[in-house]
Amino acid sequence: MAHNIPAELKYTKDHEWTKIDGDTVVIGITDFAQSALGDIVFVELPEVGKTLNAHQAFGVVESIKSVSDLYSPISGTVVEVNSALPDAPELCNAEPYGSAWMIKVKLSNTQEVNSLLSATDYQNYLSTL
Amino acid sequence: MSIQKTSLHEAHLVLKAKMAPFAGFDMPLQYTSVKEEVLAVRNEAGVFDVSHMGEFLVTGPDAVNFVDYIMTNDFKNAEVKKAVYSPLCRDNGTVIDDLIAYKLAEDRILICVNASNIDKDWNWISSKTKNFKIDLKNLSDDYSLLAIQGPKAEPILKSLGILGNSDFPYYSILETAHEGEKLIIARTGYTGEDGFEVFSSHNFAKKFWNQLLNLGVKPCGLASRDVLRLEVCYPLYGHELTDEVTPLDAGLAWTVKLEKDNFIGKAALAEYKPRFQLVKLSLEKGIPREGYAILDSNNNTIGKVTSGTMSVVTGKGIAMALVEKDKNPKDKKYLINIRAANYEANYHSKAFITGGHK
Repeated sequence: MAHNIPAELKYTKDHEWTKIDGDTVVIGITDFAQSALGDIVFVELPEVGKTLNAHQAFGVVESIKSVSDLYSPISGTVVEVNSALPDAPELCNAEPYGSAWMIKVKLSNTQEVNSLLSATDYQNYLSTL
Repeated sequence: MSIQKTSLHEAHLVLKAKMAPFAGFDMPLQYTSVKEEVLAVRNEAGVFDVSHMGEFLVTGPDAVNFVDYIMTNDFKNAEVKKAVYSPLCRDNGTVIDDLIAYKLAEDRILICVNASNIDKDWNWISSKTKNFKIDLKNLSDDYSLLAIQGPKAEPILKSLGILGNSDFPYYSILETAHEGEKLIIARTGYTGEDGFEVFSSHNFAKKFWNQLLNLGVKPCGLASRDVLRLEVCYPLYGHELTDEVTPLDAGLAWTVKLEKDNFIGKAALAEYKPRFQLVKLSLEKGIPREGYAILDSNNNTIGKVTSGTMSVVTGKGIAMALVEKDKNPKDKKYLINIRAANYEANYHSKAFITGGHK
């Protein structure tokens, strides 16, 4: 099945996307992730101010039948949280790259973004799964 | 052992179902969405391939006495053409499995058991036949089993000419011939809705599956089946029922008929003081999952969730849990631990929803 992988975003093998804007990044889960999880019915996000290390769990998404951790693609401090999302978790299925963005993080090490996957890399990674 | 496939395996792949191994079979978890599949069964009709389940046939003059002896529920007094749900217990009262026995005739009984327990049940049951004039066969590989569930199940089967016009109450069975096929149709299920379980040949099942889909019946996977049974609080072996508990620990005292003649486990169950109490809990926020701790209002751990999910119908997290009987709080105030936090739960004396079965 073909999944939507916008070219302008960067990705991780944990199926998160990042949109880089200077020293901040917006983070969410990919179309592949929402499709694999099925009906998403619960989202738990961190508080503003939380510091995250790359690959650290920052929250949880749950479908009817499963629980999945969300892993931060990069290190930094949470500066904004999509507080509407826990009340409308179904947005993760409907608009994973849009209204279902999860957190905005101020990078503590801007070099880390270089290790993220391009859309092509992520597409190639998905084809190996 | 290689993974087994039901006769409908190819049909599931054609529908692009999400498949996963279950009880040694490659089974469909979901086709489109768990939510849609649950709602189809609650409001219209859905069909489940449950051909992985096991079937044993007991025949002979002592068939009823034998089945009554191995089960804790009363089978002797059930009328012919009736189905009876029962745990299957060891001498010490612990649960080997739960099953439905169908009294096709006084000398012919079909027993349907959980797929994951077919070998365990067969070994147990076939070791108990010594004093009975019966013949016992394991027909698990011979039958396909489709469960058609939901308020529209009856009109749909009638439109296919499969159900006669005879009275067919809940928990009864019909043996019938249809297009040259012998079918056993039971008005049973695992969803809380009205519906039918059809035991047939593999060839018939393939044809029947397509007929049902063409009539708009929604194919439903094991994930929605689990949500459906949990919304109406039906126990599942391996969760509420295990080798470690008796039916009296798991809310199934109604299936243990201590007044009946000798049966396996009777002496132990007559003396048994239950260790656990099964409770039904829901959350306003968060989803309880199997293994999460249950606490009392003083934060003492008193038990754990045996099954948990998000209810599609109520939109809330729901759980069944086993709590230690001597720690079960009289105030009915329970907390469920989810990750780092404890959440106050609502206590339910009845199932989370009332199914529409007849």
